[in-house]
Amino acid sequence: MSTATDNNSKPRAMSRAKEWTAEVENLFRFQQAGYRDELEYRQIKQGALIDKWPKSGFVKKLQRRDNTVFYYSRKRECEDRDVNKVLVYSY
Amino acid sequence: MSGENKESKTEAKAAMKNSMAACPSSAAVFSEGPCRPTVFRRFYERGDMPIQNDSRGRRRSVRWKVALDVLDYHHFLPLFFDGLAESLSPYNFIAVQGIHEMLDHGGPKILPVVPQLIAPIRKALDTRNNDVMCSTMKVLQHLVKSADGVGEALVPHFKHFLRVFCEFRCKTYTPHATVYGPKKPSLGELVEETLQILEQRGGKDAFKAIKVIIPNYHSCVSC
Repeated sequence: MSTATDNNSKPRAMSRAKEWTAEVENLFRFQQAGYRDELEYRQIKQGALIDKWPKSGFVKKLQRRDNTVFYYSRKRECEDRDVNKVLVYSY
Repeated sequence: MSGENKESKTEAKAAMKNSMAACPSSAAVFSEGPCRPTVFRRFYERGDMPIQNDSRGRRRSVRWKVALDVLDYHHFLPLFFDGLAESLSPYNFIAVQGIHEMLDHGGPKILPVVPQLIAPIRKALDTRNNDVMCSTMKVLQHLVKSADGVGEALVPHFKHFLRVFCEFRCKTYTPHATVYGPKKPSLGELVEETLQILEQRGGKDAFKAIKVIIPNYHSCVSC
Protein backbone atom coordinates (compact mmCIF):
# COMPACT_ATOMS: atom_id res chain seq x y z
CA MET A 1 0.00 0.00 0.00
CA SER A 2 1.98 3.05 1.20
CA THR A 3 5.71 2.89 0.76
CA ALA A 4 8.23 5.60 1.52
CA THR A 5 11.59 6.39 0.01
CA ASP A 6 12.88 8.64 2.78
CA ASN A 7 11.81 9.96 6.17
CA ASN A 8 10.46 13.28 4.96
CA SER A 9 8.48 12.08 1.93
CA LYS A 10 4.97 13.44 1.52
CA PRO A 11 2.10 11.43 0.05
CA ARG A 12 1.51 11.71 -3.68
CA ALA A 13 -2.06 10.43 -3.80
CA MET A 14 -4.90 9.52 -1.48
CA SER A 15 -7.81 7.13 -1.83
CA ARG A 16 -10.41 5.59 0.47
CA ALA A 17 -10.37 1.99 1.62
CA LYS A 18 -12.94 -0.24 -0.08
CA GLU A 19 -12.86 -3.31 2.15
CA TRP A 20 -11.46 -4.27 5.53
CA THR A 21 -8.01 -5.80 5.77
CA ALA A 22 -5.40 -5.89 8.53
CA GLU A 23 -3.63 -2.92 6.92
CA VAL A 24 -6.88 -0.95 6.82
CA GLU A 25 -7.37 -1.77 10.52
CA ASN A 26 -3.94 -0.37 11.37
CA LEU A 27 -4.54 2.72 9.22
CA PHE A 28 -7.84 3.23 11.08
CA ARG A 29 -5.98 3.10 14.39
CA PHE A 30 -3.33 5.59 13.27
CA GLN A 31 -5.98 7.96 11.95
CA GLN A 32 -7.96 7.68 15.22
CA ALA A 33 -4.82 8.89 16.99
CA GLY A 34 -4.44 11.83 14.60
CA TYR A 35 -1.79 10.56 12.16
CA ARG A 36 -1.96 9.74 8.46
CA ASP A 37 -0.27 6.38 8.76
CA GLU A 38 2.72 4.56 10.28
CA LEU A 39 5.20 6.64 8.28
CA GLU A 40 3.96 9.96 9.65
CA TYR A 41 3.98 8.51 13.17
CA ARG A 42 7.63 7.52 12.81
CA GLN A 43 8.46 10.95 11.33
CA ILE A 44 6.85 12.84 14.22
CA LYS A 45 7.91 10.49 17.02
CA GLN A 46 11.40 10.20 15.50
CA GLY A 47 11.60 6.50 14.97
CA ALA A 48 9.69 5.39 18.07
CA LEU A 49 8.87 1.68 18.22
CA ILE A 50 5.24 0.84 17.56
CA ASP A 51 3.70 -1.70 19.98
CA LYS A 52 1.67 -4.34 18.20
CA TRP A 53 -0.39 -7.28 19.43
CA PRO A 54 1.65 -10.45 18.82
CA LYS A 55 -0.97 -12.67 17.14
CA SER A 56 -3.04 -10.25 15.10
CA GLY A 57 -0.30 -7.71 14.33
CA PHE A 58 -2.71 -4.84 15.07
CA VAL A 59 -1.38 -1.68 16.64
CA LYS A 60 -1.59 -1.87 20.43
CA LYS A 61 -0.55 1.54 21.67
CA LEU A 62 -0.01 4.96 20.12
CA GLN A 63 1.06 8.26 21.60
CA ARG A 64 -0.83 11.28 20.33
CA ARG A 65 0.73 14.66 19.51
CA ASP A 66 -0.32 15.98 22.94
CA ASN A 67 1.53 13.00 24.53
CA THR A 68 -1.64 11.28 25.76
CA VAL A 69 -1.75 7.57 25.01
CA PHE A 70 -4.34 5.53 23.13
CA TYR A 71 -4.64 1.80 23.73
CA TYR A 72 -6.33 -0.46 21.23
CA SER A 73 -7.93 -3.86 21.53
CA ARG A 74 -6.36 -7.05 20.11
CA LYS A 75 -9.59 -7.60 18.17
CA ARG A 76 -10.90 -5.66 15.19
CA GLU A 77 -12.09 -2.13 16.04
CA CYS A 78 -12.79 -0.75 12.55
CA GLU A 79 -16.40 -1.63 11.81
CA ASP A 80 -17.68 -2.12 8.26
CA ARG A 81 -19.40 1.30 8.34
CA ASP A 82 -16.04 2.95 9.21
CA VAL A 83 -14.03 1.27 6.42
CA ASN A 84 -14.74 3.85 3.73
CA LYS A 85 -13.66 6.65 6.12
CA VAL A 86 -10.14 5.19 6.27
CA LEU A 87 -7.75 7.14 4.02
CA VAL A 88 -5.03 5.22 2.16
CA TYR A 89 -2.02 7.30 1.15
CA SER A 90 0.44 6.36 -1.59
CA TYR A 91 3.93 7.77 -1.90
CA MET B 1 -43.43 -12.77 72.26
CA SER B 2 -44.35 -9.33 70.98
CA GLY B 3 -43.85 -10.72 67.46
CA GLU B 4 -46.39 -13.46 68.11
CA ASN B 5 -48.85 -10.88 69.53
CA LYS B 6 -48.50 -8.76 66.41
CA GLU B 7 -49.11 -11.77 64.19
CA SER B 8 -52.21 -12.83 66.08
CA LYS B 9 -53.55 -9.25 65.98
CA THR B 10 -52.98 -9.14 62.22
CA GLU B 11 -54.76 -12.47 61.73
CA ALA B 12 -57.64 -11.31 63.90
CA LYS B 13 -57.94 -8.09 61.92
CA ALA B 14 -57.80 -9.97 58.61
CA ALA B 15 -60.66 -12.21 59.75
CA MET B 16 -62.87 -9.22 60.70
CA LYS B 17 -65.37 -7.72 58.25
CA ASN B 18 -64.67 -4.32 56.66
CA SER B 19 -61.09 -4.25 57.78
CA MET B 20 -57.82 -4.71 55.94
CA ALA B 21 -54.63 -5.88 57.61
CA ALA B 22 -51.45 -4.09 56.56
CA CYS B 23 -49.16 -6.07 54.24
CA PRO B 24 -45.91 -7.29 55.78
CA SER B 25 -42.93 -5.12 54.83
CA SER B 26 -40.85 -6.46 51.92
CA ALA B 27 -37.30 -7.71 52.34
CA ALA B 28 -36.16 -5.38 49.48
CA VAL B 29 -33.53 -7.81 48.20
CA PHE B 30 -33.68 -6.50 44.63
CA SER B 31 -34.25 -2.81 45.30
CA GLU B 32 -31.38 -0.53 44.40
CA GLY B 33 -29.28 1.05 47.11
CA PRO B 34 -28.83 4.86 47.27
CA CYS B 35 -26.55 6.27 44.58
CA ARG B 36 -23.58 7.89 46.34
CA PRO B 37 -20.69 9.62 44.58
CA THR B 38 -17.64 7.39 44.61
CA VAL B 39 -14.01 8.16 45.41
CA PHE B 40 -13.29 7.55 41.71
CA ARG B 41 -15.64 10.37 40.71
CA ARG B 42 -14.08 12.74 43.25
CA PHE B 43 -10.56 12.00 41.99
CA TYR B 44 -11.63 12.23 38.34
CA GLU B 45 -13.30 15.63 38.79
CA ARG B 46 -10.21 16.89 40.58
CA GLY B 47 -8.05 15.81 37.64
CA ASP B 48 -6.04 13.27 39.66
CA MET B 49 -6.90 10.29 37.46
CA PRO B 50 -4.51 9.56 34.56
CA ILE B 51 -7.40 9.14 32.14
CA GLN B 52 -9.66 11.35 30.01
CA ASN B 53 -12.87 10.84 28.17
CA ASP B 54 -12.42 11.04 24.40
CA SER B 55 -15.59 11.15 22.35
CA ARG B 56 -14.95 11.25 18.62
CA GLY B 57 -18.42 11.53 17.18
CA ARG B 58 -20.10 8.13 17.46
CA ARG B 59 -17.18 6.26 18.97
CA ARG B 60 -16.43 6.73 22.67
CA SER B 61 -13.03 5.90 24.01
CA VAL B 62 -10.56 6.96 26.69
CA ARG B 63 -7.15 8.58 26.54
CA TRP B 64 -4.38 8.02 29.06
CA LYS B 65 -2.15 10.83 30.31
CA VAL B 66 0.44 8.29 31.43
CA ALA B 67 1.54 5.04 29.74
CA LEU B 68 0.18 1.96 31.53
CA ASP B 69 3.65 0.38 31.82
CA VAL B 70 4.67 3.06 34.33
CA LEU B 71 1.31 3.43 36.08
CA ASP B 72 1.14 2.46 39.77
CA TYR B 73 -1.44 -0.35 39.75
CA HIS B 74 -1.45 -0.60 43.56
CA HIS B 75 -2.83 2.92 43.78
CA PHE B 76 -4.97 3.27 40.65
CA LEU B 77 -6.52 -0.13 40.00
CA PRO B 78 -8.55 -0.14 43.27
CA LEU B 79 -9.65 3.43 42.48
CA PHE B 80 -10.91 2.40 39.07
CA PHE B 81 -12.71 -0.59 40.61
CA ASP B 82 -14.34 1.84 43.05
CA GLY B 83 -15.78 3.58 39.98
CA LEU B 84 -17.67 0.40 39.07
CA ALA B 85 -20.40 1.48 41.51
CA GLU B 86 -21.03 4.63 39.44
CA SER B 87 -24.26 4.67 37.49
CA LEU B 88 -23.86 8.15 35.98
CA SER B 89 -22.33 8.84 32.61
CA PRO B 90 -19.44 9.45 31.78
CA TYR B 91 -17.98 8.16 35.05
CA ASN B 92 -19.30 4.63 34.63
CA PHE B 93 -17.98 4.38 31.06
CA ILE B 94 -14.54 5.79 31.99
CA ALA B 95 -14.18 3.48 35.00
CA VAL B 96 -15.19 0.35 33.09
CA GLN B 97 -13.17 1.13 29.96
CA GLY B 98 -10.17 2.11 32.10
CA ILE B 99 -10.35 -1.18 34.01
CA HIS B 100 -10.53 -3.25 30.83
CA GLU B 101 -7.50 -1.48 29.36
CA MET B 102 -5.51 -1.78 32.60
CA LEU B 103 -6.29 -5.50 32.78
CA ASP B 104 -5.31 -5.97 29.12
CA HIS B 105 -1.90 -4.39 29.67
CA GLY B 106 -1.21 -5.13 33.33
CA GLY B 107 0.41 -8.56 33.13
CA PRO B 108 2.19 -9.52 36.37
CA LYS B 109 1.21 -6.22 38.06
CA ILE B 110 -2.39 -7.37 38.57
CA LEU B 111 -1.98 -10.36 40.92
CA PRO B 112 -0.50 -8.47 43.93
CA VAL B 113 -3.42 -5.98 43.80
CA VAL B 114 -6.23 -8.56 43.86
CA PRO B 115 -6.93 -8.42 47.66
CA GLN B 116 -7.52 -4.65 47.38
CA LEU B 117 -10.14 -5.16 44.67
CA ILE B 118 -12.56 -7.25 46.75
CA ALA B 119 -14.10 -4.37 48.72
CA PRO B 120 -14.91 -2.26 45.62
CA ILE B 121 -16.32 -5.32 43.80
CA ARG B 122 -18.58 -6.03 46.76
CA LYS B 123 -19.62 -2.37 46.93
CA ALA B 124 -20.56 -2.40 43.22
CA LEU B 125 -22.58 -5.60 43.57
CA ASP B 126 -24.36 -4.27 46.68
CA THR B 127 -25.79 -1.33 44.70
CA ARG B 128 -28.28 -3.87 43.18
CA ASN B 129 -28.33 -1.65 40.08
CA ASN B 130 -28.79 -3.96 37.07
CA ASP B 131 -26.45 -2.10 34.70
CA VAL B 132 -23.75 -1.78 37.37
CA MET B 133 -24.02 -5.47 38.14
CA CYS B 134 -23.71 -6.42 34.46
CA SER B 135 -20.56 -4.28 34.10
CA THR B 136 -19.13 -5.77 37.31
CA MET B 137 -19.71 -9.34 36.05
CA LYS B 138 -17.90 -8.56 32.81
CA VAL B 139 -15.03 -6.95 34.72
CA LEU B 140 -14.79 -9.97 37.05
CA GLN B 141 -14.62 -12.31 34.04
CA HIS B 142 -11.86 -10.20 32.50
CA LEU B 143 -10.00 -9.98 35.82
CA VAL B 144 -9.92 -13.73 36.22
CA LYS B 145 -8.58 -14.23 32.68
CA SER B 146 -6.14 -11.29 32.76
CA ALA B 147 -3.18 -12.98 34.46
CA ASP B 148 -2.06 -16.35 35.84
CA GLY B 149 -2.97 -17.03 39.43
CA VAL B 150 -5.72 -14.41 39.70
CA GLY B 151 -8.46 -17.04 39.71
CA GLU B 152 -6.87 -18.94 42.61
CA ALA B 153 -6.21 -15.67 44.47
CA LEU B 154 -9.93 -14.83 44.34
CA VAL B 155 -11.12 -18.15 45.85
CA PRO B 156 -10.58 -17.21 49.55
CA HIS B 157 -12.58 -14.02 48.94
CA PHE B 158 -15.65 -15.68 47.37
CA LYS B 159 -17.52 -15.46 50.68
CA HIS B 160 -17.37 -11.64 50.48
CA PHE B 161 -19.08 -11.11 47.13
CA LEU B 162 -20.68 -14.34 45.86
CA ARG B 163 -23.77 -14.09 48.07
CA VAL B 164 -25.29 -11.51 45.71
CA PHE B 165 -24.88 -13.96 42.82
CA CYS B 166 -27.24 -16.31 44.62
CA GLU B 167 -30.00 -13.69 44.65
CA PHE B 168 -29.65 -12.62 41.03
CA ARG B 169 -29.24 -15.97 39.29
CA CYS B 170 -32.80 -15.99 37.98
CA LYS B 171 -32.90 -12.39 36.78
CA THR B 172 -33.91 -11.88 33.13
CA TYR B 173 -32.88 -8.19 32.87
CA THR B 174 -30.93 -7.56 29.65
CA PRO B 175 -28.42 -4.68 29.56
CA HIS B 176 -28.99 -2.29 26.67
CA ALA B 177 -25.42 -0.99 26.43
CA THR B 178 -23.70 -1.62 23.11
CA VAL B 179 -20.47 -2.58 24.92
CA TYR B 180 -21.50 -6.21 25.02
CA GLY B 181 -21.90 -6.52 21.25
CA PRO B 182 -24.82 -8.00 19.30
CA LYS B 183 -25.33 -10.93 21.71
CA LYS B 184 -26.69 -9.47 24.94
CA PRO B 185 -26.94 -12.00 27.74
CA SER B 186 -29.41 -11.44 30.54
CA LEU B 187 -28.21 -10.73 34.09
CA GLY B 188 -28.98 -14.30 35.15
CA GLU B 189 -26.95 -15.69 32.24
CA LEU B 190 -24.06 -13.37 33.08
CA VAL B 191 -24.12 -14.58 36.68
CA GLU B 192 -24.00 -18.22 35.53
CA GLU B 193 -21.23 -17.48 33.01
CA THR B 194 -19.19 -15.69 35.70
CA LEU B 195 -19.59 -18.56 38.16
CA GLN B 196 -18.40 -21.02 35.52
CA ILE B 197 -15.33 -18.91 34.70
CA LEU B 198 -14.53 -18.50 38.41
CA GLU B 199 -14.73 -22.28 38.81
CA GLN B 200 -12.64 -23.05 35.72
CA ARG B 201 -9.87 -20.62 36.66
CA GLY B 202 -10.05 -21.01 40.42
CA GLY B 203 -8.29 -24.34 40.75
CA LYS B 204 -9.46 -27.41 42.66
CA ASP B 205 -10.92 -25.52 45.66
CA ALA B 206 -13.07 -23.18 43.61
CA PHE B 207 -16.07 -25.49 43.21
CA LYS B 208 -16.22 -26.28 46.96
CA ALA B 209 -15.98 -22.56 47.81
CA ILE B 210 -18.81 -21.72 45.39
CA LYS B 211 -20.97 -24.62 46.59
CA VAL B 212 -20.80 -23.40 50.20
CA ILE B 213 -22.39 -20.11 49.21
CA ILE B 214 -24.57 -21.25 46.29
CA PRO B 215 -25.73 -24.79 47.21
CA ASN B 216 -27.68 -25.37 43.96
CA TYR B 217 -24.72 -24.56 41.70
CA HIS B 218 -23.65 -27.42 39.42
CA SER B 219 -20.05 -27.85 38.35
CA CYS B 220 -19.23 -27.14 34.70
CA VAL B 221 -15.78 -28.73 34.95
CA SER B 222 -16.84 -32.29 35.75
CA CYS B 223 -19.55 -32.45 33.02
